[in-house]
Amino acid sequence: MIKILFISDREDKISEYRAVFSSGAYEFFAYTDEKIIGELVTDVVIVDSALPDVKSLCKKLKSKNAVIILLGDNFDKETEKFISAFLTENMTADWVISSVNVSLRVKNALNALSDTNKNLADSLYRLNVLYDTSSRFAGTLDKNKLIQYMIEGLDKSLSFSLACTLSFFEEPVLLLNSLYDLSEELVSSLKMRMALNYKSKFENSDLDVDSLKAVKYVKHPANKFTFSLLQQDSLFAPISLGDNLYGCIEIFKETPFTAEDTACFQTIVQQVSLPLKSAALYQEIIETNSKLEKLERLKSDFISIVSHELRTPLTSIKNSLDILLGGKCGKLEPSADKFITMAQRNVHRLGGIINDLLDLSKIEAGKMDFQFKQMNIHSVIEYVKSTFGGIAKAKNLNLTADETENLPYICADSQRLEQALTNLVSNAVKFTPEGKTITVKSSLINAEDIHAPECFAQSTERLHGEYILVTVEDEGIGLAEKDFLQAFDKFAQIENSLSRKAGGSGLGLPIAKQLIEAHDGVIWCESRQTGSKFCFVIPAAARTAALA
Amino acid sequence: MKNILIVDDEQDIVESLKFVLEAADYSCCCAYNGEDGLRFAKEIEPDLIILDVMMPKINGYKISRLLKYDNKYKNIPILMVTARSQEEDKLIGEETGADEYITKPFDLDDVVRRVDKYLKG
Repeated sequence: MIKILFISDREDKISEYRAVFSSGAYEFFAYTDEKIIGELVTDVVIVDSALPDVKSLCKKLKSKNAVIILLGDNFDKETEKFISAFLTENMTADWVISSVNVSLRVKNALNALSDTNKNLADSLYRLNVLYDTSSRFAGTLDKNKLIQYMIEGLDKSLSFSLACTLSFFEEPVLLLNSLYDLSEELVSSLKMRMALNYKSKFENSDLDVDSLKAVKYVKHPANKFTFSLLQQDSLFAPISLGDNLYGCIEIFKETPFTAEDTACFQTIVQQVSLPLKSAALYQEIIETNSKLEKLERLKSDFISIVSHELRTPLTSIKNSLDILLGGKCGKLEPSADKFITMAQRNVHRLGGIINDLLDLSKIEAGKMDFQFKQMNIHSVIEYVKSTFGGIAKAKNLNLTADETENLPYICADSQRLEQALTNLVSNAVKFTPEGKTITVKSSLINAEDIHAPECFAQSTERLHGEYILVTVEDEGIGLAEKDFLQAFDKFAQIENSLSRKAGGSGLGLPIAKQLIEAHDGVIWCESRQTGSKFCFVIPAAARTAALA
Repeated sequence: MKNILIVDDEQDIVESLKFVLEAADYSCCCAYNGEDGLRFAKEIEPDLIILDVMMPKINGYKISRLLKYDNKYKNIPILMVTARSQEEDKLIGEETGADEYITKPFDLDDVVRRVDKYLKG
C-alpha cells in the first residue's frame, strides 16, 4: 500500500484529495503543518504551495527521502530543486494518480540504480583487494608472510571482527587477528572451537588444544570482546592444496556474510595455498642445500684430517727407507736394494696422492692462497721442462717447447701455474711410449678463435678478450671424446683403473682444472690423430684488482 | 760435540732423526712429549731443538713461545716439524719465533743440511 501524506491548511483541498486516494491501493494522511516531519515514514508527500515558506518545508522533506509533489504553481526555482512533480489546482483525479505513480516509478528506478552502483563499487574494491593480495602472494616465499598477507587481504575485503588462523608450520599456532581485545577465557574457547572445526573436517587428525599456542594481534586494545562474539556470523575454510594441509581459518563478522563475501573469502584462502606449497618446497630445497653443503665441508675436513694423519707414519717409513738406501746401515744386497727402492718409490707415490687430495680439498674449501703477480708464461714452461728433463730422457722421450716470443704478461701465481702444467706434462709422460714426442706450445689467442670441443662450450663461451694459450701434445694412447669431461672430474677419476695402472692419484687433471679456473682461465682437451692434446688459456690482460 | 734436543711424540720419527743426526756427528737427546721437551730444553740447554707441533699436553707452538720469550733460551735455534702445511699454521709458527719450518714427510738429508746451517755454518 502506498502511503500518501498531504500537507495543506485548505480543508477543501484535503477532502478533494482524500477522495482521489480513496481506493484500497493508498493510505491517505493529511496534516496542516510541518510538525510531523520528525517521525515521517511515507512514500509520497504532496505539499500545498499556498503554505507559508514552502521552500524550507520541501528542503526538510527532501532529507527524508520521499517523493515530493507540489500542489499549485506558486513556487520559485529554488524550490523546484527539491520536488519530483507538481500538480495544478484543477487536475482530474486520474491525472493526479498517474503523476504520483510516474514520480514513484522514477524514484524507485533511481533507488535501484544507486543500489547497483554501490554494489559495483563494492565489487570493484574487492577485486582491487584480490588483485593486490595475489600480487603480494607472488612476491614472497616466506610462509608466515603469506599467511599474514591472506589475513590482511580478508580484513580489507570483508572487514571481519576476528580472524582465527590455525597454521601448521614448525608447530601448530593459532593466530588471532582481532578488532578488540580477547579475554583468556575467550581465547581458550576459540582454541577449542578451532580444534573441533579442524577435527570435524579432518577426521584422522589430532590437535592438542592444551599445547596449542595462541598469538593475539589486537587493533583496538582499549575495547574487549565478550562471549557474544561467538554468536556472530562466521566463515570457515581449510588452507590446503591437494593432500597438503597448511592450516584452517575462521572469520567472524557482526553483520551476516553475503554470498559475495563467501566467494571472496574462498578465493583468497584458495589463492594462498599455491604459494604456500611453493614456499614449503623452497624451504625443503634450502634445507637440503645446507645439508649438502655441510656434507661437502665434512668430506673436505675428513680428507684434510686423514691426510695429515697419514703423513706422520709415511714420514717414518720414508725415513727408514732413506737410511737403508743411503747405505748408512751397510751396503745392501742387490735384490734387497731392488725391493727397498720399490718400497721407496711407492712411498713417494703415496705422498703424491696425499698431497693431491689435500690440494683438491683445500681449493674446494676455498682455503688455497694465490699470490697473483705479473709474470711471463715462459718461466713456467721452462721450469716444467727442466723438471721433466731427466725423466723424459730416462724414458727416451722427446720433450720440446715451442714458444711464441714476446708474449704479453699474465697475472698468475707462478707456483700454482707450474703445478697445473706439471700435472699435464706428467700425464703426457706417463701415457706416451718410448721414442715419441711431447710438445708444449704457447701463443696469444683471441677468445673468438678458441675452438674447444662441444662439451667444453659452457666454459669457453664466457671468454672474451685476449688469452695466452698453452697446449701439451703427446703421442700416447689418446683419449676418447666421450671421456673428455670425465677426465677433469675428480669423482670419475677415483674409479678410473687406467690412472691407477699408470700411477698417481688420478687427481692431476681435476686439480689442474681448479687451478686454471682460479686464474679465470679455462682448460680442455682435444682429439688428435695420435695421442691427446690438453689446452688451457689464461687472460692476457693484467688484473689490477687481483694485484691490489 | 753439539747437542740437539728432538721433541716428538712419534717415537719412530725421533729414532730416524736421531740416527741420521748422530751419523752426522751430533749428540742427541730425545723427549716424547711436550712436558719432557720443555723440561729437557731448560735443563740441558741444547744447541738446537727439533720440535714437533702436534703433541699432547703442551704443543710445539707453546714450547717455542715459552723458550723464545725467555732471554735465557731465546738464542737456541728451533726447527718446527709438522704434518700441517696450511698457510695459517705457518703464520702461527712464525709468531711463536721458530727459526725454520719443516713439513712432513720431510727429507732426512734436508733436515741434516738445515741443522748444519745453524751449527756448522
